[in-house]
Amino acid sequence: MLVNAYAKRVFNLAYQFGGSYQEAEDMTQDIFLKLYGALSKYDVRRDFTAWLLTLARNHMIDVYRRTKWEKASRDEFDEHTLSAGESADPETGVDAAANRKIIWDGLNLLPPDIRMAVILRDIQDKSYEEIAEVMSIPIGTLKSRISRGRLQLAKILREKKGHDPDL
Amino acid sequence: MILTCDRIEELLSPYLEGELGDEERRLVDLHLEECPDCRLLFAALNGTRAALRGFPELEISEGLRARLQAIPRKKKRLGAALDFLIRPALQPVFATAAVFMTLVSFYLFGPYKAAIDRSINRKIHHGYSQVEKLYVKAGSFRDRLEASTGSLVVSIKNLPIFGGDKDQIQQ
Repeated sequence: MLVNAYAKRVFNLAYQFGGSYQEAEDMTQDIFLKLYGALSKYDVRRDFTAWLLTLARNHMIDVYRRTKWEKASRDEFDEHTLSAGESADPETGVDAAANRKIIWDGLNLLPPDIRMAVILRDIQDKSYEEIAEVMSIPIGTLKSRISRGRLQLAKILREKKGHDPDL
Repeated sequence: MILTCDRIEELLSPYLEGELGDEERRLVDLHLEECPDCRLLFAALNGTRAALRGFPELEISEGLRARLQAIPRKKKRLGAALDFLIRPALQPVFATAAVFMTLVSFYLFGPYKAAIDRSINRKIHHGYSQVEKLYVKAGSFRDRLEASTGSLVVSIKNLPIFGGDKDQIQQ
């Protein structure tokens, strides 16, 4: 039941954070191993999803710091991610895909905590309150990190695309 | 009031989220109308947000699903294999082992190890000499027993009932 309900969410977070499909699969397995070991410590008054995401986030940041995960290059963007979510308009679709490729690669340049905050907010569409709980930081700090992360990515996009007013 | 480009940078993200008050929003609008650099950055920020929102949620592979579903079974098997260790019947054994290990640790890491060693040595030697004495006593007892057995056999053979000489017995 836990696998059906949460594996996809954990895997996608790991994939978006690390950028490697294989690493994300291994990471998801490690996180579930930890999860089964830690279930007895779960406080039923807490939101389970937030608790699980906290566990996942802590594990990912730990591995990132221990193994210098950031040095690993991300998978080629179109291998797993480009196929879905394309616009019906071919011209807009190509442009959006080009932007997504730049942003996908750019995510690796963000510090881990900022990257995690941006992913949870803008890709996974979590509320500030949920993310603040998962990351154990005040909402003000969180907003500041998300703002910095978005700006850094926006500057990368601006550099890559030149002075195109229709970014 | 005119906002600098640095200040506008800070405000663009909350502006995008609709979190600014009316006055700040008006100032940002005004600045964006007049500043092409900030306008470009704002367009890039919009593009970034749209790109991030466009990442699809991937399905997990069947291989990963199978691996994840096998985790509780593996854990259960390991748990069952170690269940015998927590049987109540083994508790006295564990308690005894704990006491023994405590004593051993006192002996090994305590300050009186040399004195205890000497004492044990003395006890062993004492015990050994006691055993030797017992062994010697046992030897002499066996000799005496053999001698007594011999004379007893001779006496029995000489009984009249077995056709022996009565006088020989009396002698």
